[in-house]
Amino acid sequence: MNSTAEAKHVLRCEDIEVSYGAFKAVTNVTYKFKPGLLYGLIGPNGAGKTTLMNALSGRARISKGRVFLNDQEITKQSPHARTWAGLGRSFQITQIFAEMTVFENLRLAAQAHRFRLQPFWRPVGKFKEIANDAEKVLSEIGLESFGHVNAGSLSHGDQRALEIGLALLSEPKVLLLDEPLAGVGHDVGEKAVELIRRVSQGRTVLLIEHNMDVVMEISDEIIVMLAGEILASGNAETIKQDPRVRTAYLGEDE
Amino acid sequence: MNSQRLMALLVAIIISAPLLLPDGQGIGLVNAILIWSIFVIGFDLVFGVAGMLSFGHAAFFGVGAYTLSLLTMRMGWEFIPSLGAAGVVGGALALVFSYFAIRVSGLFFALLTLALSQLIYIMAGTKLRMLTGGVDGIAGVPRPDLFGIDFYDDGNYYFFLLALFILALLISGLIRISPLGQALKAIKSNEVRAEQIGFNVQRLRRSVFTISGVFAGVSGGLLASLIFYVGPQMLHWTTSGDVVIMVLLGGMGTLFGPILGVAIFEFMREWLSTQTSHWYGILGLIFIICTIGMPKGIAGLITQLWDRIMPGGKS
Repeated sequence: MNSTAEAKHVLRCEDIEVSYGAFKAVTNVTYKFKPGLLYGLIGPNGAGKTTLMNALSGRARISKGRVFLNDQEITKQSPHARTWAGLGRSFQITQIFAEMTVFENLRLAAQAHRFRLQPFWRPVGKFKEIANDAEKVLSEIGLESFGHVNAGSLSHGDQRALEIGLALLSEPKVLLLDEPLAGVGHDVGEKAVELIRRVSQGRTVLLIEHNMDVVMEISDEIIVMLAGEILASGNAETIKQDPRVRTAYLGEDE
Repeated sequence: MNSQRLMALLVAIIISAPLLLPDGQGIGLVNAILIWSIFVIGFDLVFGVAGMLSFGHAAFFGVGAYTLSLLTMRMGWEFIPSLGAAGVVGGALALVFSYFAIRVSGLFFALLTLALSQLIYIMAGTKLRMLTGGVDGIAGVPRPDLFGIDFYDDGNYYFFLLALFILALLISGLIRISPLGQALKAIKSNEVRAEQIGFNVQRLRRSVFTISGVFAGVSGGLLASLIFYVGPQMLHWTTSGDVVIMVLLGGMGTLFGPILGVAIFEFMREWLSTQTSHWYGILGLIFIICTIGMPKGIAGLITQLWDRIMPGGKS
């Protein structure tokens, strides 16, 4: 019984609310995410997309409702505990270890995933398994020739790819990507879309993105948020046809 | 050779001065440098590696000193187990502090650790007078009694301190390059990302704070035995301040830099205090000029000079 339920929904939000004083940034959000699908999360600025992502990853306190990852409640868990439970994320504003090399960045993510207690009795270089994990992801995100470059001096697009790489090393079942294409040039953008497609194989991805063409093209399902609530959801065609979405989000009058 | 090795060489020269100079000159100064170095080697794990500015380390240092003194003098313990206990008590107190202070970071962390250590300082001077001897402290703290060697001779005690200094240096050096050290650097670099890739930031901070408490406790015990005395002044926040100055002067986050900072600080303390009673003010002035002129301390200056002399010769 349990395994079928798990197979059905990898991530589940039950009526969650995030409020800052009287302001409700996210409210009445109930949604079930199926395994292996790519969800596009869209909505105008201030709709609560990033706040919802923060609530899911543990960076924003959920004032009401519950969140389940694989039927395990994570509502009150800290961000690192959620990462261990199988939830990875990238950030809207790039969060990397800027003064370390790309390889060191990835190796840190690998050791965070491998060791619950960080060993202190041997040099980090002696732990071959974490170096191997890092090398694997280094080529997966297409940065194999930048391993020894300082992460801070990478191009913006490559930093975004590194962010995804850092999230991948925790072997997440659910990957939250907050505008991974923001500020990325067109050429690089195509490479990035390809990367998103690739990493979404076999896992659930929730993607915030403002480029509608990309969202419509790669999402299996699209969730539209407005004023902290989910306005509509469905496949690209349904969303395009939805009059509420057209009015509220695309700004078209009937 | 690189700038790191050059600094190691400088440290080696300083600490072997009593062996190089005729009649073991400077032995008292070098003994003090070795003890304070054990303190800063541990302190820099918290400050330089993990990026937490603590003003509470005087408490672990002083409590270590009292522990060693009380155990050897009142309980009749041997020196080595007492020194071990000084480290354990220093670490345990750091662990207790961490439960209050780790919740906050930055300036609030610095202030909370300062307040907690001042609490210990006041308690040692007043409420715990029966135990600590109040403001008079405890005189007559012994030195080790091992293999029939007379450690009351500063020249012999030097070798005992040197062995512990090297041990502390090895442990700290290993921690820095271990996964634990890397994780701490990651937290300093980007806490949000460190937490999101799965590091338990609070637990890691708590562990390094405790480890540095052990270093502080051991060095406190050693200083008490060097000067045969322990008093509440060792617990005063200015002791924490001195250590911060030593680390900044030498170069935070480097293995050898803080030791050079200790050497300069202790040399100034020894030499300036014979010249003027306002030595502490002058030392402060020198510190201010140094932080403006060389924000990365002596370690930064050496690296800069080295790169200029040996351009491109990074390794």
